[in-house]
Formats: sequence, structure tokens, C-alpha cells
Amino acid sequence: MFETRGRLARVALHVILIILVIPFVVPLYTMISGSFQGEGLGNYLAVLNVPKLAYFFRNSALIAAVTIAIVYAVTMMAAFGFSKLRIRRREVFFWMMMAALTLPEVVLLSPLFKMAASVGLYNTFWAVIIPIAALQVPFTVLLTRTYVDGIPDDLFEAARIDGAGTIRTFRNVLIPLSKPMAVAVVVLVLINAWNSYLLPLVFLTDPNYQVVTLLPQYFQGQYNDDQTKVMAGALLTALPEIIAYVSLQKYFERGMAAGALK
Amino acid sequence: MTAIDAPAVQRDRRKPKRSRMALKPAGIAWILPAFVLSVGVIYFCIGYSAVLSVHEYRGGLELGDAVGLDNYRTALTNPLFWGALRHTLIFFVAVSAVQITMGIVFAALLHSRVRCAVVFKVIIFLPVVIAPAIMSPVHRRVFATQGPINWLLEHSGLDFLAQPWLAQTSTSLWVVIGVQVWSSIGFAFILFFASMGQIDPSIIEAARIDGASNLRILRSLVVPSVRGTTIALLILNVITSLKLFDYPYLLTRGGPVYSSDFLGTYIHREAVALTNLGYASALAILLLVAAIGTAVAMSLRARER
Repeated sequence: MFETRGRLARVALHVILIILVIPFVVPLYTMISGSFQGEGLGNYLAVLNVPKLAYFFRNSALIAAVTIAIVYAVTMMAAFGFSKLRIRRREVFFWMMMAALTLPEVVLLSPLFKMAASVGLYNTFWAVIIPIAALQVPFTVLLTRTYVDGIPDDLFEAARIDGAGTIRTFRNVLIPLSKPMAVAVVVLVLINAWNSYLLPLVFLTDPNYQVVTLLPQYFQGQYNDDQTKVMAGALLTALPEIIAYVSLQKYFERGMAAGALK
Repeated sequence: MTAIDAPAVQRDRRKPKRSRMALKPAGIAWILPAFVLSVGVIYFCIGYSAVLSVHEYRGGLELGDAVGLDNYRTALTNPLFWGALRHTLIFFVAVSAVQITMGIVFAALLHSRVRCAVVFKVIIFLPVVIAPAIMSPVHRRVFATQGPINWLLEHSGLDFLAQPWLAQTSTSLWVVIGVQVWSSIGFAFILFFASMGQIDPSIIEAARIDGASNLRILRSLVVPSVRGTTIALLILNVITSLKLFDYPYLLTRGGPVYSSDFLGTYIHREAVALTNLGYASALAILLLVAAIGTAVAMSLRARER
């Protein structure tokens, strides 16, 4: 966008960029340097020896995987239905769904509490998975429908004329053609499920069922606010996300930028 | 199937769109799972919230007395409610201003010829990916009285500016805003970066030949052509500000003395700590009305222009 003529201008451009990036690095630096103070690597050993540490990660992975599977399946089916099949008052259904886009999850708290009291939702993963999936679906359907609308109807008609049923068309035409959008959906749901905090905080109270976003306060409790170990814990919990993002950079950015399609 | 369909195409040739539609297989069963999951759960919860909001309900199996609109009256006359709303408004304006400006600046800088552009992109976008819950202890340390911010101030001769950022009412809200800005610039950056890629380079070239400076091009050409993204971000920010919970809860618990309280933390406190679920539901309904109202108003205004 900016054209830089001459060396000086080019150096100035880089200097500006580096200065602007400093605030982004300060927390990351604080986290890393803090985690090595005091006992140094010993902080990490202490954190890794926390009983049930693996449970937190396993539970997060399980919740994310199930949420992704549910959202992916219902989103693809709904996008196919809305875009390529015959539905009476289709737009009414669609907009009923889109109205849910603005819904904050705190609105779900009281009703879920009431149900938790009567059905026994505490310390079940479904108390977290179902609301997260329900809140994601309107957005993923919006994205995927827009994408599927862009695939020519002729392809689906051709499949039908060749004798493929609806299920076959879905499996062999829609699923392969919408792969780029599916990647975005998976990444989006992965971030939201893995990072979710409020619902696990309220409904997963037993350490056997807790997730990685609850680890910081667990460490704070374990170490009496020993900051160096809390920093080591934060780094260890952030690490899978950092690795996932750096290695799948393009997909992450595409997944997040998919929101701009609206 | 095809044998029956073929004459139908012939008969309805005058209305080709209609006939094509009629040929398609029925799709209601395909949208049903998504519909039940999202609309079912969400509308049920909204309806249930509405019911709870006109009751006294302190948790447990039994609903308390019906109290009519008392909970709403209490909320609308409570300074805590208006305080939370005022913080939401300040938060929305401040975060949007910085996030959009910096998003545009970073996107423009990284569309120029820059070395190690990937490294910069990763650093800017990383905060978007890491969970607020995981980063919060780190941010608390950054802003602690003995933390790096005060250290920097003390060692650069600005020691009169060093202060307990999180522990005083005058700065706590601004820490929450700063941290949110930190974690959301990357998102704006990615969106602006994508939409700046759509600008025709020959227009910029033409402007440059006409003698426009870099800043002039940014102001008069780039900013207007990414307007759609700016509006999308504003609408998203309205919703984010109204439903904000993670950062204020984790950084300050809404305090000290409610100075960084938001609707999200307020509802959570009433529902969980005080088990005042009827009142919390009334707050939730008010929040929902505000969210839908603002989002609709903003998209209508954006469409008008």
C-alpha cells in the first residue's frame, strides 16, 4: 500500500512497525520471563506434576471435538437444505435462526441453572457442549449457506439426473465442494469451544471434569498465588494454541476472516 | 422420477424459476437438526428467562412468587445497571476507535513491502487465538504495582505516572479496555488486510502518478474502500461489548467498587454469587433487547447510506 522510495523511508517504515508491535510483545515477554524466575525450569516441572493436569487437556479436547462434530454435521445439512432444496417459507426459518446471532451466553445462565437443578446438569459435558454448539450454529449456517449459494445449481441437478438421491448428492457433491468453508467452520468452533470460560466455570465444578481455561485459577489455588508457577502454567496452557495457530496459520486467518463475508 | 419430472418442465416453461424450485427435493428434514439445536435451545432459554424474570427465584426446584415487572423496575432504577451500561458505552467507543485505526494502519503497513511480514502477522494475530482465561493472569502481572508497565515508567523518568492500575477506580476500566484492544486488533487487522487486497492496484497507481502522498492515499482511497469492513466491525463490537464477561471478570471482578462492571459480570454476580436468578433473568432480557435493538438499528443505518 505504502510506497517507500529510498533506503531512509524503508528503514522508517520498519521502525514504525516495530514500535507499534511492542505492546503486543510485552505480555508474551512477561509470561515467558516470569515463568523462568525463581526455580527456573523447576516451575515447569512443578506445573507438569500437578495431579490431573492431563484431565484438563483431555476434557477440553473432548468438548471441542464433540462440539465441532455436531456443529459441522448440522451446519452442512442446513446449508444444503437452505441453499439447494425446496423449503416453504425458507427465509422465515432462516431469519428465525439469524436472530439468535446476537445472543450473549449470559442469557442462558438462569434457564440452565433452573434446568441444572431439576435434571442434574452439573459436571456433565453436555451442559457445556449443547449451549456452545447452539450459539455457534446460526453463524456457521450463515457463512456456509452464503458459500453454498455460490456453487452452481447445475452441478446438483446433473447429479440428480444421473440418478443420485438427495443423500448421495449431499455426500458426493456438496461435502467435497464446500471443503474450504468447512475448514473455516472447524477452526472457528475449535477456538470458541477451547476458549470458552463462562459455561465451564459455572457448570463444571468437579476437577475431574474441568477444562484448560479453568487451569489458571486452579494453579493460583495450588500455589498460593506463586506468580512464577502461574506464569509457567499460563505458557503451558497457551502452547497448544500457539502451536496450532502457527502451523495452521492460513486456515486460522481464513476462519476468522470468514466473518467479513457478511 | 425423471420420467415424471420431464413434462413438468415443459408445462411451466413460462415460469422457469418456479418449476426449477418445484423440481428440487424437499429440504425441511435437512435443516431440522440445526433448527432444533439453535432455535430450539436459544428460544427456549429466552422464553424461560422471560418467565423467570417475572418471578422471585432463588435457585432450587421451586419458583418463588410471581412479582410482575418488579425485577425490571428494580433494574431500571438501579445505579449499578446504568453504571454497567455506561462502562459498556465507553468500552465500545474506545475499543472500536483504537481497534479500527490500528487494524487499518497494520493492514496498510503489511501490504507495503516489509521484511519478515509473516512474523509481524503472527505477533499481531496471536492474541486473538489465545483464550482470555489463559492470558488474564499474565495481564494482571503486566499491570501489577511491581509489574513491567510501572517499571518502564519509573525507569523512563515518568515515575509520577506509575500507579496501582488494577486496584483503583479511576484506571480499572481502562485496563480492561486496553487488554481487549490488545486481543482484538489482530482480528480487525485480518479483516482489513483481506479487504485491502481487493482494491485495484491501478487506482492507487493512478493516484500516485497524480502526486498523492502515502497518507493521502490511505485517507482518501483506502479508508473509504474498506468501509464495509469497518461497519461489520462496529456491529460486531456492539455485540461483544454488550456480552463482555471474560476479561472484566478475570482481571478485576468488575471492581474495585464496580468501577469496571459490565452487564455480563453484573448478571453473573446476581445469578451465581447471589443466586438472585429472577432478577438476573430480567437483566438478561434487558441485555438481549439492547443487543438486538442496536444491531438492527446499525445494520439499517448502514444500508440506508
